[in-house]
Amino acid sequence: MQLKVKEELFDEPTCSHNIQKKEKKACKTAVPGSSTGGCSLDGAYIVLSPIRDALHVVHGPINCLGNSYNQRTSESKGNEIFYMYGMTSSINENDLIFGSEDKLKKGIIYAVNKFKPKGVFIYNTCVPALTGEDIGGVAKELAEKLNIPVVPVSSQGFSGGKNLGNKIAGDVLFEYVIGKKEPDIDILTDYNINLIGEYNIKGELFLIKKALNDSGINLLSNITGNATMEEIMYSHKAGLNVVVCSKALVYLARKMEEKYGIPFIEESFFGLSSTNNAIMHIAESFKDAKLIEKVKKNIELNTKKIQKKIEPYKKFLTGKRVLLYTGGVKSWSLISALNDLGMKVIATGVKKSTEEDKNKIKEFDANGNIIMLDNGNPVNLIKMIKDEQADILLAGGRNQYTAIKSLIPFLDVNQERGNPYTSYDGVVHLGRQIYLELNSPVYDVIRKAS
Amino acid sequence: MENLKNIEINPLKTSSSLGAVIVFLGVKNAVVLMHGSQGCASFDKVTLTKHYRENIPIYTTALNELGAILGGSDYLKAGVKNIADKINPAFIGITSTGLSEVNGEDINATFNELKKELKESGSYENLNMAYVSTPDYNGNFEEGYKNAILALLKEFCKDTKNTANTINNNLAGLNINDDKNNIRNITDYKNSDYKNNNGKNIQNIRANVFCPFSFTAIDFLELRELLEDFGITPVMIPDLGTSMDGHLDESGYLQTTSGGVDIKDLKTIGLNNLNIIIGSSLKGLIAPVKEITGLNTYYFSNISGLKNTDLFFKFLEKISLRKTPEKYKRQKRQLMDAYLDSHFYFLGKNIAIAEGIDILDSFSEIFAEVGANIKIGVTTSSSYVNLKNRFEILTEGDIDLFGELIEADGNNIDIVISNSNAKYTAEKIGVPILKAGFPLIDQIGHNFKHRILYKGSANLVYEAANLLMKNS
Repeated sequence: MQLKVKEELFDEPTCSHNIQKKEKKACKTAVPGSSTGGCSLDGAYIVLSPIRDALHVVHGPINCLGNSYNQRTSESKGNEIFYMYGMTSSINENDLIFGSEDKLKKGIIYAVNKFKPKGVFIYNTCVPALTGEDIGGVAKELAEKLNIPVVPVSSQGFSGGKNLGNKIAGDVLFEYVIGKKEPDIDILTDYNINLIGEYNIKGELFLIKKALNDSGINLLSNITGNATMEEIMYSHKAGLNVVVCSKALVYLARKMEEKYGIPFIEESFFGLSSTNNAIMHIAESFKDAKLIEKVKKNIELNTKKIQKKIEPYKKFLTGKRVLLYTGGVKSWSLISALNDLGMKVIATGVKKSTEEDKNKIKEFDANGNIIMLDNGNPVNLIKMIKDEQADILLAGGRNQYTAIKSLIPFLDVNQERGNPYTSYDGVVHLGRQIYLELNSPVYDVIRKAS
Repeated sequence: MENLKNIEINPLKTSSSLGAVIVFLGVKNAVVLMHGSQGCASFDKVTLTKHYRENIPIYTTALNELGAILGGSDYLKAGVKNIADKINPAFIGITSTGLSEVNGEDINATFNELKKELKESGSYENLNMAYVSTPDYNGNFEEGYKNAILALLKEFCKDTKNTANTINNNLAGLNINDDKNNIRNITDYKNSDYKNNNGKNIQNIRANVFCPFSFTAIDFLELRELLEDFGITPVMIPDLGTSMDGHLDESGYLQTTSGGVDIKDLKTIGLNNLNIIIGSSLKGLIAPVKEITGLNTYYFSNISGLKNTDLFFKFLEKISLRKTPEKYKRQKRQLMDAYLDSHFYFLGKNIAIAEGIDILDSFSEIFAEVGANIKIGVTTSSSYVNLKNRFEILTEGDIDLFGELIEADGNNIDIVISNSNAKYTAEKIGVPILKAGFPLIDQIGHNFKHRILYKGSANLVYEAANLLMKNS
């Protein structure tokens, strides 16, 4: 019976809002009649589906996947594109009556023969979870038969939201993938790290990797943008885990610390100063004077270079007012990036932020007047933008139409963003995009016409 | 082939709940409430937002494991009340999902209970609701779409049914009361249908018009204009033209749909003069719509291409007793010219289509007229048998199967017609893809692509001819 997810997943000791509230299920908050966020299937799929040489099979009725595959913008440098393919057992009424484990097995065997993947993830959904299908058993049987990892993911949506799904994904990686293989000796250097929670949206990973390489830091495994199964299997050989922009995957980092003794740090690569800090912190973690020296030099070099590049945008953007409405870690990490560009963040969304995130916000809030926005319903957002005379809204795609229909300039900074915004070059992209959007004549043209 | 696979790889079909959601989005000042896990609503919302580039007002009852096992009626009731209190829409369209249905709960009973409760409370007088059962494991998009239309009719049409006779008499020519076999195709028309016109136009014809989801917003709007030009006021159910065309509303951002069919008009559809149903996927509506409304019901499998658009205009001339306006006569001549100009580029060209039944039907109609080889078709439901003769290969399946069929045919295809998810298939064989249908998430402006009637058919052949020209 796959009905229950581990209680442990609701209990994150490193998550300070759990300690304070003593409320283990703090992450399960959707109310009937609310506008909707993703479920745990969504969350698990986001984390795992960028693994590019695996198949991702959703075991459920057609609505769980039928409308919504092929939408991630995780880029990949491999030849395989089947990680972008939507696969589902698409169970129907007959399957409910007679059971669909057999169908699931046959379907996966068909797809594995066709695409020759290095692993399979089977995502469970509400209906088969309720009827008590044993996808764990199916996975076990298939793994033996096909001789590749076949991973059951208990991601049924009624268990909780996206955040829980992220954790479930981390959990299955830990249990079924990580540590299952040793790396070739020649891909290891003295400074091996993993990134956790970087999905390579618009190629952001490639920018981060470049910055790390320049400083002599070896990115052993990325979890999970552009990753291969093999890469994640040997990630336990890294000397440091760097969790980026994902509170939920701290869970995975903690498990890896417990089992493999890999320490972890939480960093952000949004913005010049954050990127500099992240790389510096990584170097410091290795306690190696030579590395630290090299990183210092690099940071100096890159800072000069990037400051010169953003100068023209900064000139225009200085003092411009931003309302930032995005989830969790980005509620503070982007503040730093925007500060680098001279902009003034007047409010930031904290609906999905932890106490720790909120503390970070205060850190970046020199004058202590950033409003922490808890209620981000569209009406409230628009009112806030008008009251506080914000020049632009930075948020996720779902608020795009809220903003532009109210003739408020907008930039998407969530998963559908049009450009990579991390690392050194990302700052330049971010500055340029905000600059261009603020200078677009379209809002004035429309305002005058209406 | 499909059944042997036991897996959908790049599915073409979508769920019945999505079909129902879209119908409800074609109602004015509406929101949709999906009774299920938050993900059920979220997946649809995200894809629809990307497709339409609009806010999509979908909400969830956020059913969790307790509700799924012990019963979800409290979640549904709380959801409706919360939405009514917070947003105050004119209409809430409620769909079920696989999760809320799988334990066999009688959601319809909850819905009726809730209506009673709201009525007794007295504070929700302006709130209208409809419920449609759409378990994802049963049926497909087309069925959800159809059933949601019927749910609207059953909910709102019931009071006005059968009072329509006197009004029908206004339609002097149609002799409706004598017509025993009330469902007629255009080919059934007899001269006797319009004997008493006395040379006068008939005024104030009101038609209930049912169009498929394959119509773009601009298709809906063009059809509306056409009917109005014939003196016919359409009540479109759903009206995805005025609701989903992407217009900047005067009040800017809205939490509900900004256009669509008015509930007020839905309540009086039994008083209108006739029903027009368009689209192969809606064929199953003929009998129930006729029964519920008690009106004459006319069905067209599509209104695309020269021949079928001609038939539709003849039909309009007959029911309105008006001549086709000059503007459309000209459009017809333009389409003829478009066919002549573009037919060179279709000579000997092979076309492969992976779409729902309506686009499969209407597009292949046009491409067949202009002389292309309609080679491979893959669609979502088994109701394609009527089209068997038009295609060399036609079957139900997913986009993976579509690719395999093309490969088995020796990659002998010149153009692929499908939605955004067939991008890789087209890339693999190195031919252009003409994108249509749903979802379209990697392009913009498809709601402005008019592809039915004379003008839209001309648009389509030009667009396809240009893609073929570039690639030859």
